Amino acid sequence: FLGAGGGNDIQWCFSQVKGAVDDDVAEADIISTVEFNHSGELLATGDKGGRVVIFQQEQENKTQSHSRGEYNVYSTFQSHEPEFDYLKSLEIEEKINKIRWLPQKNAAQFLLSTNDKTIKLWKISERDKRPEGYNLKEEDGRYRDPTTVTTLRVPVFRPMDLMVEASPRRIFANAHTYHINSISINSDYETYLSADDLRINLWHLEITDRSFNIVDIKPANMEELTEVITAAEFHPNSCSTFVYSSSKGTIRLCDMRASALCDRHSKLFEEPEDPSNRSFFSEIISSISDVKFSHSGRYMMTRDYLSVKIWDLNMENRPVETYQVHEYLRSKLCSLYENDCIFDKFECCWNGSDRQVEFFIVMTGSYNNFFRMFDRNTKRDITLEASRENNKPRTVLKPRKVCASGKRKKDEISVDSLDFNKKILHTAWHPKENIIAVATTNNLYIFQDKMN
Amino acid sequence: MLGKGGKRKFDEHEDGLEGKVVSPTDGPSKVSYTLQRQTIFNISLMKLYNHRPLTEPSLQKTVLINNMLRRIQEELKQEGSLRPMFVAASQPADPLSDNFREAQPAFSHLASPPLLPADFVSTMPLESCLTPASLLEDDTFCTSPAVQHDGPTKPPPPALQPVKDSFSSALDEIEELCPAPTSAEAVAAESAADDSKAQPSESNIHKPEGLPESRTAESKLMDPLPGNFEITASTGFLTDLTLDDILFADIDTSMYDFDPCTSATGAASKMAPVSADELLKTLAPYSSQPVTPNQPFKMDLTELDHIMEVLVGS
Repeated sequence: FLGAGGGNDIQWCFSQVKGAVDDDVAEADIISTVEFNHSGELLATGDKGGRVVIFQQEQENKTQSHSRGEYNVYSTFQSHEPEFDYLKSLEIEEKINKIRWLPQKNAAQFLLSTNDKTIKLWKISERDKRPEGYNLKEEDGRYRDPTTVTTLRVPVFRPMDLMVEASPRRIFANAHTYHINSISINSDYETYLSADDLRINLWHLEITDRSFNIVDIKPANMEELTEVITAAEFHPNSCSTFVYSSSKGTIRLCDMRASALCDRHSKLFEEPEDPSNRSFFSEIISSISDVKFSHSGRYMMTRDYLSVKIWDLNMENRPVETYQVHEYLRSKLCSLYENDCIFDKFECCWNGSDRQVEFFIVMTGSYNNFFRMFDRNTKRDITLEASRENNKPRTVLKPRKVCASGKRKKDEISVDSLDFNKKILHTAWHPKENIIAVATTNNLYIFQDKMN
Repeated sequence: MLGKGGKRKFDEHEDGLEGKVVSPTDGPSKVSYTLQRQTIFNISLMKLYNHRPLTEPSLQKTVLINNMLRRIQEELKQEGSLRPMFVAASQPADPLSDNFREAQPAFSHLASPPLLPADFVSTMPLESCLTPASLLEDDTFCTSPAVQHDGPTKPPPPALQPVKDSFSSALDEIEELCPAPTSAEAVAAESAADDSKAQPSESNIHKPEGLPESRTAESKLMDPLPGNFEITASTGFLTDLTLDDILFADIDTSMYDFDPCTSATGAASKMAPVSADELLKTLAPYSSQPVTPNQPFKMDLTELDHIMEVLVGS
């Protein structure tokens, strides 16, 4: 039962951790995206080395009723390779920026993965049988001399060890001059959008040599550029509606039926600045790093550097709720600007639900391997840590607390002790159950709620 | 600097810097506001100009830093604290952006598209048709088909010649505005100009690589890696901020660590100890040029000492 307040809060327990143990992080192992598929059975991660690793949840073991199935490696493949743009004389990173699953239509699974320039559609299929008994081939594949064949037989399928194969079915390339930051599959399941810093393109999943530009904010004179697109997503139910966020803290909702080029938004969501919080860094910290619709599509959530905001699509002038993720960093913005942390792009996610209830818990990451959850009903929040220490299976995670100033209580951590290299940028919530995947720099943690 | 769990001592100065921005009109706190603003300005410049990635820098980051610089610049302008040279130099023909129009014909349409395919589209009613993304810009055509890249290879710099030419023309412009550069930054500028004109000069050896203010826009232009075009193309955003302001801005580096490992010079940032005498020798040829009355910089020994300190890295 999801935490709906009234004493039924979720108690999170450590379940698993994936990835290298040692502190020396290989650059290629840095996790860059995490995404559950629509059923939650599969969990995909992308890394800086261009690889995709998919974990599969074990079918529930009836004898082990106190925990849900564990996630084990299902498939690993190299999605993108580093490339070189000869025109600009720059490398194109193979880092996977986003993975989005398609809903399952047949036995195979499909996902879209993208780096800065190219989107690929991957088919992941299982093979657990193979044909045996060919007439012209030996079992090891060598061809038989036809003259030695005296009888004919019909080859039959025999079971074999499960093999999971990933093959690229479509490659959507050469449509983005700038770096792709988002991909989003439309609710029609036929089209999807890809967004870079200045443009958003619409694709058909079957067609790779053509895409249509639906948003273009590139100024005629690049010297006038002051704002970029930071994230974009299709509405979960309305296939002609999408939103995109900007580096100035605005969200624009566009309707593709209004015109072919959605340069004029249908709605503009922007909160007026709080004059008491004005600083040199106001603009930078207002830059939105992630935008996510709620399941119903009535609300959307945005993440900027210090907060998470919930917006009602019917109200443009301010969010309905604002949650402070790490307000204690407000006085450290200059240092965070200097060491570039202020440009970190945190993502956010809604809780999952097996019922069509409105979503009411949101989760996002922070520094020091902390991540935060906000309960919209109870208005309570919690800070947890993803760490190999103090994490025994089925032991409830201890809430953490950061001491902003003044006397530090026992078990509290002072702001100055926070490790800003340990950032949790990517988190994902199982679509139906209380299972969450939290990515630290190079490890993937899986937490579950304590089942009674 | 926030470290890995190391406790920071309470630093009053740091606190003043990080604390809430106070209104510039407050008496005693005006100083700390100005200090904070200057620090942020310097950090922003360093971020833009010392960044030497193999991959394209994030456009979002560049735009945000650029906006920061513009805002501070606007404030400075309003406060009237600009030098006369700055005002004179802020013409529409910005040497920086001009360089990039000259230096990279392939990207000229990025700055000012003479004839964009999109222009064709705009004559048709937009509502009636979708724009294929392939028609947006020539560069989506021209982007060379991505090639598998096995190892780090540096391509030959095809555009080296145009860069040098445009750079020397930029320097000519600077010289016009301030004919007798006698500061160390100008030494670097001069030696670079000499470099590009293929005139060996002993001042090359004494190029003060350690000086952050000299390793700004000009160093990007001098660099043989054409890949920097994209980075430096974006600095064309700074329409009002010309090379002048960067070269002669009074950047105080004493307040924050300048990590040589992250500097643009990379392995080349060997700070060769240069004696004050040698520096004076290299400056001698330039001192014969006439000095304009509004030249704010006069090389004196105290300034030389300061430069020496920075060079030696003390």
